[in-house]
Amino acid sequence: MVELDHPCPCATDGEIAAVNLESARRGAWGRFTRDPRLPGAAEAVVDHERLAAQFLGDLDALDRLESLASQFALVDDSFRAALVKAEVASTVHRFDDARGHLTRAARLGGPRETIERHSLTIEQACGVELDAVLAARRRLASASDRLEDLVLLGAVLADLERFDEADAVYQQAFDSYDGISPFPLAWVCFQLGMLWGEFLPVPDPDRAALWYQRAIAYLPGYVKARVHLAEIYASQGQTGEAEELLLRALSSRDPEVRWRLADVLTAQGKLDQAVSQLEAARRGFDELLGKYLLAFADHAAEFYAGSGNDWRRALELASVNVANRPTRRAVKLAQAIRRRR
Amino acid sequence: MSDHVDGPRSIGDPPADVTDLFAFTSPENPARTVLAMCVFPSAGEAAVFSNAIDYSIAVRRVVVAGVGAAAKFQPGDDEIRFTFRFEVLKRDTAGKAIQRGVCTLPGGRKLSLTVNDEQGASTPEGEIRVFAGLRSDPFYLAWDVGKLERLPNLLQHDNVLCMVVELDTRRVLDPAKGSLFGAIAETVPIPHPPGHLGYPAPRIDWVGRPEQTNMRFNNPAMPGIVDLRDLWNQQTPFAIPQALQPLFLQRLKDSFAVWDGLDGKTDWTPEALAANANVFLDDFLVFDVAKPITDQSHLEIEKSTLYGRPYQTGGGRTINANVIDILLTWLVNHDREFLQGGATGATQPGMKVFPYFATPNLELQTVAESIELAAAPDEVWSVVGQFSLDWHPLVARTTVTGAGIGQVRRLTTLSGGEVVERLEAVDTAKRSYRYTMMSGVPASRYVGTIEVTPKSSGSVVDWRVEFLASDQPDILVRGRVSALVKRGLGSLKDRFAPRSTREATAVAQ
Repeated sequence: MVELDHPCPCATDGEIAAVNLESARRGAWGRFTRDPRLPGAAEAVVDHERLAAQFLGDLDALDRLESLASQFALVDDSFRAALVKAEVASTVHRFDDARGHLTRAARLGGPRETIERHSLTIEQACGVELDAVLAARRRLASASDRLEDLVLLGAVLADLERFDEADAVYQQAFDSYDGISPFPLAWVCFQLGMLWGEFLPVPDPDRAALWYQRAIAYLPGYVKARVHLAEIYASQGQTGEAEELLLRALSSRDPEVRWRLADVLTAQGKLDQAVSQLEAARRGFDELLGKYLLAFADHAAEFYAGSGNDWRRALELASVNVANRPTRRAVKLAQAIRRRR
Repeated sequence: MSDHVDGPRSIGDPPADVTDLFAFTSPENPARTVLAMCVFPSAGEAAVFSNAIDYSIAVRRVVVAGVGAAAKFQPGDDEIRFTFRFEVLKRDTAGKAIQRGVCTLPGGRKLSLTVNDEQGASTPEGEIRVFAGLRSDPFYLAWDVGKLERLPNLLQHDNVLCMVVELDTRRVLDPAKGSLFGAIAETVPIPHPPGHLGYPAPRIDWVGRPEQTNMRFNNPAMPGIVDLRDLWNQQTPFAIPQALQPLFLQRLKDSFAVWDGLDGKTDWTPEALAANANVFLDDFLVFDVAKPITDQSHLEIEKSTLYGRPYQTGGGRTINANVIDILLTWLVNHDREFLQGGATGATQPGMKVFPYFATPNLELQTVAESIELAAAPDEVWSVVGQFSLDWHPLVARTTVTGAGIGQVRRLTTLSGGEVVERLEAVDTAKRSYRYTMMSGVPASRYVGTIEVTPKSSGSVVDWRVEFLASDQPDILVRGRVSALVKRGLGSLKDRFAPRSTREATAVAQ
């Protein structure tokens, strides 16, 4: 039996944090709609919407972000609107657009450090110049010793397949945290789950499961963590546990929930229900790809390569993904799909 | 803004973020004193307290240990502390979330309470009564402080989570032993809450006088300075370490010098400025329960002591105190002339009865749409600025009664409905007008604004409507208002399309 020897910091109860995130998100929109030019108002909306998308699987946040960026651009000609557009574009993986907005923000006198951080995030997401990204991340993490910077350093180390270092940096992120928000802590747990469950050449699903469990303990509504943990349970034959995890995430619009649930139901022999969930997943992916092709190309490629049963579409999407962000994982995914022909 | 969002660590867990601290005489009963702290800037209607934090108000007896250039307030060692701790959410039979909590009183007694219960909870003897819940934000800030430019209240319609302690002054504070006190409010993680293995994080936030962090340490008129707010927030109130005092003191002196010069005049001598910095370094809200605490008395104790004369009031801070303007006036011109910001009060004034903080502002529904037009702002305003709204495609007939501000338009829509609206304000220089709805839409507090602003060689029309739906579901009312606004703006796109486009469209038709 695997046990985690690293203690986790205390945090606000996940349900309270989710209620308060929604409360703060609505409050931020209220301030923005009352006066869109108010300093920090648009930026606060971006922060809250991104949290809602990342941790609560609230994919409507993407539509709201697009709407925010266009509304803000109508009333603001400064670097602020360009930075908000860059944030939104990069959230939905439109990295070329994001770079363009950052260039404009710089031309309009936007703060250099903010623009450089944005650029770094884009380079990291695209897997470009990773050695330079690593050096910059080390500099930032060492200067701040803050969880946010350490997690991003851990992520680039994992991308570079320096797994022991990544693990140590993630643990350091825990130690550095001195707040009580469960969001950052759940994020570290999730990253550790990914590291042990998906990045390592020989994954350790038991250890990964423990990290995902911790992420969910911090934040019961963490949809991505539920999906990943359910995958592990399902692969180990614990379909009942997997089903329970996914059923509680069904309110999310994330089609991956229904896809994984369909797989679980299939394994349980509940074929009629599985077909209906699979169709819902397909509709969900199609809808999202129509709006945010680049953001969902990778997951949709996996879907169509698997239960979605459309190899050609899977390969097409995987290629789109590689063209947009040629990371090692993206290339491996495309190669794997090509081999399955 | 006050202590709102005063450090990067606070972002992400707003119920840990202390916004304000108050100490005043109960307007309901002069024999009682009210202490209160607020957290969670811009809280929405569903906001609740964290279950991982001890929310505390601590009071210590204070003596005036020096006056004039040596002005100093020395706190004692004994502390009167009220600590609120809240539970995870529970559901009532209807599924509604409920939060309960406990306030630990001086001496260790505990008072159980339910969040948002306006009656609060009292000790059996009645000497202490407590409340916790969502209220209208009493703080108001109506300046771009770095530039000293007046603005409307930046926190209009905002709510905060408040904790209120009302106490019998004589029985709890025992002013016979000294009536001058210093108070702080703080948020500290609870050590080892149930449910998680782990270790506690250090202090998150604390507040004494308003604006120690956001205006005095992190002076917005001093761009590029090192942010000391997190470091300050982690220190122990009433006990700033000797080693760090020179750092904080120097920042206060530098900041005060910048504040002094912000209006282009120097009103502070270096000696007075240094004495002022010394007083503000000891950051606690000073109040005297034996003297009157009024809306104007905030900082009077400190100022009089710095001037070397006996103070006349109880200082403290009432709910309605205009603390920003009092502070700005003191720092910028040494009370030469009062600096009145762009607002004279918060969204709602405080109440005369327990729990004293006004009821929360309901979340207004907002429909806000904009459209970019390839026509000059004046050309667009010549149409859109007509209050009759006869340019709107959904308006079948319109009659306007009266002239100027107060005129009323009666709109008959294509579907046969009738809407009556009143003109409240016009700003022709800004090409905008504001109106309210009198009847015809199932909503209250219905305020619309139309504004035309230049954009490149064309213009942008913003149409914004705020309201509270009544009698019908939000979504229905919102849909109706949204259709009105969208169709109206959409018609402008056609009307002000470039000539070539219009001609092409006409040919195509």
